[in-house]
Amino acid sequence: MIPTALEFQLLLPVLIIAAGILISLIIEMFSSKSEKILPWFSIALFVSTAYYSLLTVGHERIIFNSMLAAGGTANIFFFVFTFGAAIVTLISIDYIKKIGMYYGEYYILLQSAVLGMMLMANAQDLVMIFMGLEQMSVCFYILAGFNRKKIKSNEAAMKYFLLGAFATGFIVYGIALMYGVAQTMSIPAIANGLLIYSDNIIFVAGLLLFIIGFSFKIAAVPFHMWVPDVYQGSPTSITALMSTGGKAAAFSSLLIIFTPLFATTQSTLFQPYLVVIATLSMLLGSIVAIAQTDLKRMLAYSSISHAGYILIGVAAGSELGIASVIFYLSAYTFMNLGTFGIISMIENKDEGNLSLNDYSGLGNKKPMLAALLAIFMFALAGIPPFAGFFGKYYVFIAAIESNLTWLAIVGVLSSVISIYFYLRVVVVMYFQKDENILNVEDSSPALLGIMISALLVIVMGIAPGSIINLISNFVK
Amino acid sequence: MIPIEYYLSLSAFMFIVGVVGVLTRRNAIIVFMSIELMLNSANLTLVAFSSYLGNPIGQIFVFFVMTVAAAEAAIGLAIIISLFRNKKTVNIDEINILKW
Amino acid sequence: MNLYDFIFYFFAALTIVSAFFVVTTKNIIYAAFNLLLTFFGVAGIYVLLGADFLAIVQLIIYVGGILILMLFGVMLTNKITNVQIKTEASFVIPASIGVGLFAGVLIAILLKTEWRNSPADIPISTLVPIGKLLMEEWAFVFILLGVLLLIALIGAASIARKE
Repeated sequence: MIPTALEFQLLLPVLIIAAGILISLIIEMFSSKSEKILPWFSIALFVSTAYYSLLTVGHERIIFNSMLAAGGTANIFFFVFTFGAAIVTLISIDYIKKIGMYYGEYYILLQSAVLGMMLMANAQDLVMIFMGLEQMSVCFYILAGFNRKKIKSNEAAMKYFLLGAFATGFIVYGIALMYGVAQTMSIPAIANGLLIYSDNIIFVAGLLLFIIGFSFKIAAVPFHMWVPDVYQGSPTSITALMSTGGKAAAFSSLLIIFTPLFATTQSTLFQPYLVVIATLSMLLGSIVAIAQTDLKRMLAYSSISHAGYILIGVAAGSELGIASVIFYLSAYTFMNLGTFGIISMIENKDEGNLSLNDYSGLGNKKPMLAALLAIFMFALAGIPPFAGFFGKYYVFIAAIESNLTWLAIVGVLSSVISIYFYLRVVVVMYFQKDENILNVEDSSPALLGIMISALLVIVMGIAPGSIINLISNFVK
Repeated sequence: MIPIEYYLSLSAFMFIVGVVGVLTRRNAIIVFMSIELMLNSANLTLVAFSSYLGNPIGQIFVFFVMTVAAAEAAIGLAIIISLFRNKKTVNIDEINILKW
Repeated sequence: MNLYDFIFYFFAALTIVSAFFVVTTKNIIYAAFNLLLTFFGVAGIYVLLGADFLAIVQLIIYVGGILILMLFGVMLTNKITNVQIKTEASFVIPASIGVGLFAGVLIAILLKTEWRNSPADIPISTLVPIGKLLMEEWAFVFILLGVLLLIALIGAASIARKE
């Protein structure tokens, strides 16, 4: 079957990025000014894709031999990925020159990582999920080790690669077992027979292996051992994308698998598993983060505990649960991007200035950056009126509606613990005497990116109701 | 005729050998070899199902998995070499600037 | 036992034994050569299952590509002059217990399930149907595979180069 023109039109977000990768390669090859052109070209690419995704969000359809979905939640995820990637590009422009790793490949790999994420979010076929996941992961393996003269970066890449490939093994084996029972890889076709398959222990085992593989990718406990090292060792701009876009993409694939399951009477089949890993992630993430002095490592543990909160929404297994997961992921993306943006500005070229004490007195020296960082810390801690609070609020409401009140209570408890280490950053910035000389190089593109994130965090905090309504419209 | 269970058990066994290798060995290259064993066993399961069900999609997927594995191998070796250049070891226990 | 069964048992034994040695041997070069035998055994089983195309691809990609890459990795990371190929194991007991349980459950499930117990008519060659599917229904994925390989090439070159 030859796809129609309309199908290509609806697939335009993916096609723009794919074409952009090839054009960027040509620019990098032939232009002597590629250092100036490439970042802005990538930003134009990402922003136009984000705009187009929002424009066509209402055209929900299954396209390309029922391999891809267009419109609806897929497009909301497209917006989050591409807009987030645009902010990451803004942050990267001065950062990668500062730490001496400017190579044109950086932006090309960034674009292809986003391509992989987009395919994960709109896949309607297990093969597509696998391809998207691998496209994204391969780019991240390289980008994690991109600062190749620094041994920390090499180590991060190595650990990420080995654990990532290990998870891929689980995912492929899980797909194989599901295929053996369902005789197809198309998710709508599997969804049709789901009620029969969910009694088949082989299918359930396959699905479980698949979900375990994805638990590595979303950094849930007990599959989190790679996260602190990889987030700490990778270049900060890459950590920003990995912890936001990468996580959101893995969750989007999980939702694609889970949404049909929730529609059946077997909707609580995986609830015990999800509840256990959600509880462990929230508590372990929040408690271990307290002991961290390196800011990037602290945020890595915070990222683990946020994965736990998001899993509550998945475990709830209702329409509100799915909508709240999407809301949380978008809020988390912009909160975290802003935080990492500030860290990348303060970091010096030898990867110094990353420990908590280096931030002492930031409130006097750089009032602007300190105020922005305070906003992000409040948002991550879940203090109203910022986006993070409403993310948690909707997730907990969804849990209570699905009779998981105790899980919501654990969530609230863990947020209370987490307030301690987030606010500690604010306290250090404003109330601690500065002992060291902090040289922060100004970077206007990075500041622009951080301010856009802050704006989005505030907007999502002011008008959460209309945004969650918008998302709920597209969650069937 | 060989029943399909034999093929499936063979691949399950290979998968488990691979998992054991990843969990117990400390040399990065051997860990990577064990991961290849896991992927091979998944491929074997897919081909067995595909051929017993008479459904070619499984074989197409195996083709994709193999190609992706090749791409991953290239990346993996590049990472191992760049690490070795700085550190002179590929033993995971000695790679410990960051805590494992 | 007819010839078909004999060939199956031969390749299955080859695969299992060599896979076992990959994971247990102390010498990394032996591990690589055992992996060669495993890949070869799996290719043989593909032929038995009527997947001739994949058997060839298995030999070309795994034996001809991935294994050679690994041997390069071994050679480049262990200076040939001071052969110090040390590869210990750790956590053997907890890992064996956990994995043993997992293995028992998985194989028990696989054996207990009722499967359709005869292969579908084995086609003379799978080359034509696979080629058609790749170029028609799965063309989009096939193109994506090209993008993935391109990116992997660029990335591998960019982190492994000296300057």
